[in-house]
Amino acid sequence: MSKDWKKIARGNRLEIPEADLERILATLDGLEAAFRPLARGLPQDSEPASIFRAEEEGE
Amino acid sequence: MTLLEAAGALRRGETSSVELTAEALERIARLNPLTNAFQTLVAGAAREQARAADAELARGEDRGPLHGIPIAVKDLFYTKGVRTTGGSKLFAQHVPDHDAAVVESLAAGGAVLLGKTGMHELAYGITSSNPHFGAVRNPWDRDRIPGGSSGGSAASVAAGMVFMAMGSDTGGSIRIPASYCGMVGLKPTYGRVSRYGAMPLGFSLDHMGPLTRSVRDAAAVLNAIAGYDRRDDTSSRRPVEDYVPEAEPSVRDVRVGLAENFYFERVDADVERAVRGAFREAESRGAQVVAVRVPDMAAINTVGRLILLAEAAALMEPQLGQRDQFGADVLALLDQGRLAPATDYINAQRLRRGMQREFAALWKRVDCLITPTTPITAPRIGETSTSIGGESEDVRLASTRLVRGINVLGLPAVSIPCGRDGRGLPIGLQIIGKPFGEALILRVAQALLPAEAAAPEL
Repeated sequence: MSKDWKKIARGNRLEIPEADLERILATLDGLEAAFRPLARGLPQDSEPASIFRAEEEGE
Repeated sequence: MTLLEAAGALRRGETSSVELTAEALERIARLNPLTNAFQTLVAGAAREQARAADAELARGEDRGPLHGIPIAVKDLFYTKGVRTTGGSKLFAQHVPDHDAAVVESLAAGGAVLLGKTGMHELAYGITSSNPHFGAVRNPWDRDRIPGGSSGGSAASVAAGMVFMAMGSDTGGSIRIPASYCGMVGLKPTYGRVSRYGAMPLGFSLDHMGPLTRSVRDAAAVLNAIAGYDRRDDTSSRRPVEDYVPEAEPSVRDVRVGLAENFYFERVDADVERAVRGAFREAESRGAQVVAVRVPDMAAINTVGRLILLAEAAALMEPQLGQRDQFGADVLALLDQGRLAPATDYINAQRLRRGMQREFAALWKRVDCLITPTTPITAPRIGETSTSIGGESEDVRLASTRLVRGINVLGLPAVSIPCGRDGRGLPIGLQIIGKPFGEALILRVAQALLPAEAAAPEL
């Protein structure tokens, strides 16, 4: 089921004009359809590719 | 003439930096009204730098091959005292108080900065048709886009205005304009070149690299700009190499990967023919062509799109109340990013790591991959969809389809020209290497393009 992007935008108070939202709905739906199955298949122990380091350079 | 040829001529006393700079400024004056490649010129400062370079060289103070060479940088690299807009109306009057790391390195190498090149707004797109500063036009056909977002950089080099222009690449923004303008465009490994002082778009996807007329020129520039920089958190401490290949390098026994899936799907027939011809050329020079199946690049592209949407929207969030300051295409992407939940961004970054691991296995079988850079040649300005084999595709998605995933993986890649299509437009070929494998991909690129890239008649 596709997401209700208009409701999400309103809920987050994003103040995106209706016409601008209309223009991106199909793209968002397409990306959602491509991404969701990938995210569902993620192994529980997979870590994100982040750059956080507890020890800063020079400390 | 290439950058390295000009460097040789300078040292033989056949020309001077002052002469090269004057010629470049004259060419810009003549051709910029046709191409809009330059957004800001710093002619006075450039003439001064050229005089200083000539004096230093006369004293025997040689800073290397860039010394006295006229160059340009994309208008997202901070330049002290010189307006840096990022192609955005929001930053139209922004004058940095320091240089980007890349600008510092080029200056240390004695390069003569002529100005800043035009680009897609905020580097967020592939047309370089900028609503605030005008459309950059492709020197091969001025009704067509030069590609983007580093469109002005590619156009300025293709038009012979400068010997080299720096670009940045978040989802193909060096390689796409290199392909559409028939030039060499190098995207080094993530972390190889400092991002400090380059206006960001996608923190974890942004790469800095040169656009040039020859492979050896790109390598010479990489020699000058590569290396650790403590001001960039993602900068690598891995030692730099001499990246400049021999003029006629050997590729004997180099294992060149030919992808059986993805890279030749939905590709224009002329592009496919030209790139497949390059495999035969590589083979004739002793390279071993190995057929491989690549991981799911469409999935990697999806992950890349999501990461970029979120990173760019986070970056521009404070300005998004000023909607009239953005072009419609960029605003649409930023709005999409605002609607992406944080969980999706984190999961995209988790998927990215797995994909990186999966792709790494490929390097046990091959040393590099050769693919088309773009499935099409330069589209017309204003064209939003293109037809490939009778199938319609969004121009932005088609242009980024074969390059975006490489930013997700952080791999080095170089685009070189590889013939022309039926309309005489340049075709681009991409060589992808393993992390920090710049020397090898440049060697293969030099074997396939030993001469200066062809330039349009202007």
